[in-house]
Formats: sequence, structure tokens, C-alpha cells
Amino acid sequence: MPFVRFIGFSVVRAWQGFWRNAMMSLAATATVVLMLVLLSGLFIVITGLNAGLAFIESKVAVTARLEDDLTSTARDRLIAEVEAMPGVASVAYVSPAAAMERLEQSYREIGRTLDLGDPDSNITLFASLEISLADPDASSAVSSAVADSEDVDRVLTKQAEYDTLLGIINVIRTVGFVGITLVGLTVLFMIINTIRIAVYSRANEIEIMRLVGATDSFIRWPFILEGVLCGLIGAVVTIVLVAAVWDPIQPAMVTIFQMPTAVSTQFLTTLSLLLFGVGLGLGALGSWISVRSYLSATR
Amino acid sequence: MTSLLRRRTKPESADAPVISMVDVGMTYPNGKVALADVNVAIPAGDFVFLVGPSGAGKSTFIRLLIREQLPTSGNVRVAARDLLRMRRGQVPGLRRRIGIVFQDFRLLPSKTVWENVAFALEVTGVPGIQIRRRVPQLLNLVGLHEHAHHLPTQLSGGEQQRVAIARALVHDPAILIADEPTGNLDPVTSWEIIQLLIQINELGTTVLMATHNQEIVNAMRRRVLALEGGHLVRDEGTASYEREY
Repeated sequence: MPFVRFIGFSVVRAWQGFWRNAMMSLAATATVVLMLVLLSGLFIVITGLNAGLAFIESKVAVTARLEDDLTSTARDRLIAEVEAMPGVASVAYVSPAAAMERLEQSYREIGRTLDLGDPDSNITLFASLEISLADPDASSAVSSAVADSEDVDRVLTKQAEYDTLLGIINVIRTVGFVGITLVGLTVLFMIINTIRIAVYSRANEIEIMRLVGATDSFIRWPFILEGVLCGLIGAVVTIVLVAAVWDPIQPAMVTIFQMPTAVSTQFLTTLSLLLFGVGLGLGALGSWISVRSYLSATR
Repeated sequence: MTSLLRRRTKPESADAPVISMVDVGMTYPNGKVALADVNVAIPAGDFVFLVGPSGAGKSTFIRLLIREQLPTSGNVRVAARDLLRMRRGQVPGLRRRIGIVFQDFRLLPSKTVWENVAFALEVTGVPGIQIRRRVPQLLNLVGLHEHAHHLPTQLSGGEQQRVAIARALVHDPAILIADEPTGNLDPVTSWEIIQLLIQINELGTTVLMATHNQEIVNAMRRRVLALEGGHLVRDEGTASYEREY
């Protein structure tokens, strides 16, 4: 019961304190919202790009175009050799006829017909091996090993696209991290100042509390909870804002970034938990720093 | 009144003084000597005046008793507790054994009389049911039951000091320290406050009152501790007090 009384006392005092110092509290909450909106945007973009990256990784990573005169025995031996290479998940043989069928299919999908000119021209496509990788980082090693084979004419990889996307993601991550850190520090500063003003405006109360024998917890926690309240209210407002624009965002996550639908439906929950955690953490940290410095300076 | 404050038929520890200072010195970091070689023993149930000019060390004396500061030398014991060996977490427990009132009352202006007294109980985790029982008792004791829902600004100086005394008594302390409690009051009101302190003392609470009021000290004929320049220059029972400054 004493603990419940303590919690009740602290929560009530934090709530009263938040509204007694309403202008500063709301300003701090607004900066929390600003920061969490930026964080949400960054999280959405990074998660989307990561999904795109995973999509590329899941596609054929290395294509080996085979020599025209390759016998079926030599082809089977080559397939066995490639399958045995480290980092290779699977190897599929695509015959010239299958390659032509795919080409025609891709034309049909965009509403056109493949025109090869003279039907008797006997145009054929190359046979190839499509190599899926268990480890995308093995792409270079597998490519060069396959290219060394005399049965292989050329090797094509997705490495360039993969590297480009990874580069973009890394830049966004770095810029986003720096931006979020700067805004986070601003939020922390705002919360520290808000709680400091609250503490100073109640210096008389704190002095009386000490004189009548209140413990440090009774003095400290209402102020810490007041900071937590700024963070949590900021998180709730941000979640409401993100939820309001979620309907147009969610299909874009699926179509633009190739994010699996199952992931996109859980995304809002994950994002909400992240926003709650960051809001609560910043609020608690800022107010704790503020109260701690005041109490140790005045004791 | 006896039902409000427990009558202390026996002191906390039969013979041990409730306040004891042995060779106490206090020198501030800037080199100012606030107290030097102070030796005092106050038995439980005493009513003691602490007198001296401004800067004599009265405030430091009081700050040491409530462990707001620690002496730079010597030893201080209050309510059977060694203040130098006391851990920080034990300080709130000590302060519940000491009630303190000030010249400027230090009431919270946005809270009513009832809330000001209840606040001291709330912040020490006392259950609401006990608060609702205790606060009216204390307001009756100081004669302010009728003013329970008034704000401090609606009260006279004497009434505000009564509220401060009620607040100081919430934990039924062994010691009541009054720092210039009549400093802001007219003579008639001052005597009313002194009468209240006497009543509280008669119930067994040790009262230590810092004051400049020569008339009150001389009329009361109680023990007087006189400080000057940080030194205890006089410690006499039933003494008079001659202001020379």
C-alpha cells in the first residue's frame, strides 16, 4: 500500500505540475512531436529501403551465360561445381527455348508482341545458369569463379544495383542519424529546461517537503514523471499523426519498396512502440538530469 | 489538547539529552567561523531560548540540528541520533522527529490552511484516512478549525504562524524548533504564539526558540543560550536577556 500511495501521489503531482507550467510543458511536448515525426519519416524510409534491398537479395544474384557448344554432360558438371561453391543457395538451368519464352512473356505483359523479323532467321538466345546466393556478399567470389570456367561465355550480376542501393541506404542512415541526434539533443535540452523551471517555481514546496521529512523519492519522482508525461504525450500525438496518413503510406511501402504486406501491416505497431520508447526515454532522461542537478546543488 | 499530542511522560531516553552538541565548530569554506567550541545539552521536555545578535551563529546552530549542514568539528546528537554518522537516507526520519517553524511562516500560498497541514503528511506517505483524522485535530489545537478552507493570504500573521505550528506538529515531533516565530508579529499576537508554544512544551515536546525578543525571554524566565561571534557566551537556567546591540 505505501508503494501504491507513493505512485498515486507522484502521478497526481506530475499531472498538476504539467498543467501548472502549461506553456513550457506544451512547448517541450511540441519539440518531442517534431523529433518523433522526423524519426518516423526516417524509420519509414529506412525500413522501406531495407525491404527493397531484401527484395533484390532474394532475386537471382548471378547469371552465367553458357558457351553455345556446351554438351549436356559438361553442363551438368558445371552445375555441380557451381552448387558446391561457398555462398551458393541454388543453381537453375535456363535453356535457350525457356529464355525465349520468358522474353516473349515479358513483351506480352506490357501489351506488345516480340518481333524477330524473318521467322526463318533462326534467332536463338543463350542458355544460362541462374545462381541464387545464400550470402549476398559472396557475389564477387562466385562471379569470378564462374567466369574462370571455359564453359561460360559471360557473367552478369546484380552487384552494381545492390551496391548502389546499399550506398543510398547508408547515406540516408548517416544523415538521418545525425539529424535525429541533433533534434534529440534539442528535445532533451527543452525537457531539462522545462523541468528546471518547474523545480525552481516549486523551490518553496521542495524546501518544506525536506523539512517535514519527505524522502528523496517523494521529492524527485513527481518531476521525473512530469518529464515522462511530456515524452508520452508527444509520442501519442505523433502516433495519431502517423496513423492519420498511414492509409496512403502503407500501399506505397508495398509497391515502391517491395515490402511484404505482412511486414507493412505490423509496421505501425512496431513504429508506435519505437515512438513510445523514445518519447518515454527522452522525457525521463531530461527530467532526471534536471532534478538530480537541482537536488544535489541545494541539499 | 492531550488527545492531540501524545503527552510524553518519559523522555525518549531516560537521562540522555534530546539535543547534545560536544565541541562543535562550524567554519564555512570562505573561512568564516560560524560556531566554535559549542557544548550544549538540552534534556527532553525543556523550553530553551537561543539568543544573540544577527550573525552570532543562531541559524547555523539550527541548521546543524536539522542536519541541513554538518559541523566541521565536534559531534551533534539529536533525538538519540548521531548526526555525523547518519546516512543520507536516514535524514527524513530525523526530520520527522523535529518540527520547525520560521519567522516568515513558509506556507504554500496556493493551498488552503487544511491543505498546507495535510501536505506535510501527504509527502511523507501517510494514508489519506489518517490525514483526514489528523489535520482537524491539529487545526483544533492551534485554534484554526474555523479557517480550514481559507488561503494563507486571508489570515493574519498570527494565524499564519499557527498554521505553520500545526504543520510542524504533524508527526508528533520530540523537538519543536522555532526560528524567530514572533519576529513578524505584534506584541499581543506574539504572546498568543508563546502561549501556544508553552502548551506544546507542557505536553512534553522540547522547544528551542531562537529570538531577539527581550521582553518575552525576560518574562518567561527559562533557560537561555546566548551566542556571540559563534561562541556560546552564556548558558543559564531561568536567565534574563539584555540586548546590547
